[in-house]
Amino acid sequence: MLRLFRSKWFIVSLITIFILIIMGVSANKNSKVNWLSNIISVPLTPVQAFFSSIGQRIDDGLSFFHDIDAVRKENEALKMKVIELEKENRELLSFKDKNDELREALNLKAQFDDFEIEGANIIAIDPGNWFNIFKIDKGGKDGIAADCPVVTNSKGLVGRVMSSDLTSSKVLTIIDEDSAVACWISKAGGGHARVRGDMLLKEQGRCRLDYIPLDVDVEVGDIIETSGLGGIYPKGILVGKVIEVRKTNSEMDRYAIVEPAADFKRLEEVYVLKSRIENTETGSVKK
Amino acid sequence: MKLKIFVYTFFLLLLLLLQSTLLGYARIYNVKPNLLVIFIVCVALLRGNVEGATVGFFAGLLLDMAFGKILGFYCLLGFYLGLAVGSVNRRLYRENYLVVVFFTFIATVLYEAAVYILSNFMTGRLELLMPFTVKILPEAAYNSIVSIIVFFIVIKISHKFEETSKAARKY
Repeated sequence: MLRLFRSKWFIVSLITIFILIIMGVSANKNSKVNWLSNIISVPLTPVQAFFSSIGQRIDDGLSFFHDIDAVRKENEALKMKVIELEKENRELLSFKDKNDELREALNLKAQFDDFEIEGANIIAIDPGNWFNIFKIDKGGKDGIAADCPVVTNSKGLVGRVMSSDLTSSKVLTIIDEDSAVACWISKAGGGHARVRGDMLLKEQGRCRLDYIPLDVDVEVGDIIETSGLGGIYPKGILVGKVIEVRKTNSEMDRYAIVEPAADFKRLEEVYVLKSRIENTETGSVKK
Repeated sequence: MKLKIFVYTFFLLLLLLLQSTLLGYARIYNVKPNLLVIFIVCVALLRGNVEGATVGFFAGLLLDMAFGKILGFYCLLGFYLGLAVGSVNRRLYRENYLVVVFFTFIATVLYEAAVYILSNFMTGRLELLMPFTVKILPEAAYNSIVSIIVFFIVIKISHKFEETSKAARKY
């Protein structure tokens, strides 16, 4: 009997069972075991912020020489565009005033009224090659909880907070395979669909649009927004644009490729939408 | 023993930091090397299966705490990887760079295939060849090259450990 306890296979299977139990317990989002990750991620956060700022600086420095020619040409083009846009802007401003008036009359709520916006820097990316998870430097201390939506400065959807530690949180992007977003194809005669990550497409920072209703005629250039179904993302956040529609064997099987509004290769800072309304689920955990 | 714990902890933390920050800029064909896997393979080859499994366990635990979706996933994989690689070392000449390159390649393929299969098999979207051509084989090749540098450092550490244990035996 004593020999059994000392044998290698016994120890190995003991450790295996132990880890499997921990996996089972930690699969529950609210379990206490997940607090373990604070041990490593709280002291690591400032160091990671330091390292990634070095990396960004080197990258910026290198691309400076590379870009200067392109920048000159772009400058010319942009100047022309500014003139054009200024003209358009004046016209639109008058529309906006009118729209505001009408909206007020209709008593519509502003888009992100229930949310407070918190800026955050990306300090680390997933060490493996499979997932698209990154870490930001704001956490539970700043009121960020799991399932908060994350957007870019131009209000393009990035993803959602997967879990938050004290001083940092992990963000699951919409191009990850584990992510699915309930969406609205916003055009006349649009419909509900779902945007999810795809292994091949995420290399190019894109995702695919599934479950397109039969009666909706999806075309290249259609704008995709969140629909608010599913409860995580509020209604009306810009997800991206359709750049290709692929038909497989039948009409039922078609899907579209979406170019997200957020540029996932060049993300440096993001904005987390914190709910002003206290989440009942996390409220019960605090007790 | 204290020295060992200190050195391993230092290296694991350093590699995790490098990998999650600076290595993002060193992508080739959209893959970056997995330094922790290389480190586990090197340690397991040079120091045997007990140390390999221990280092693998803690390397995985660090990954889980910093980035994992479930606590314990990488931990278990790292533990098995260290154990498996460490168990073959007796029959080979260990301090040969070709052996390390070979083992890193095989270990990366197995490890990443396990990560892919285990994290996707419930979703019903498993594919056979595509993950290999897109991710696993490029990463394995990249890892094999980087493993030469890591192995060079681990050999130095290993010699240091042997010296201190010899010195301890004398007194």
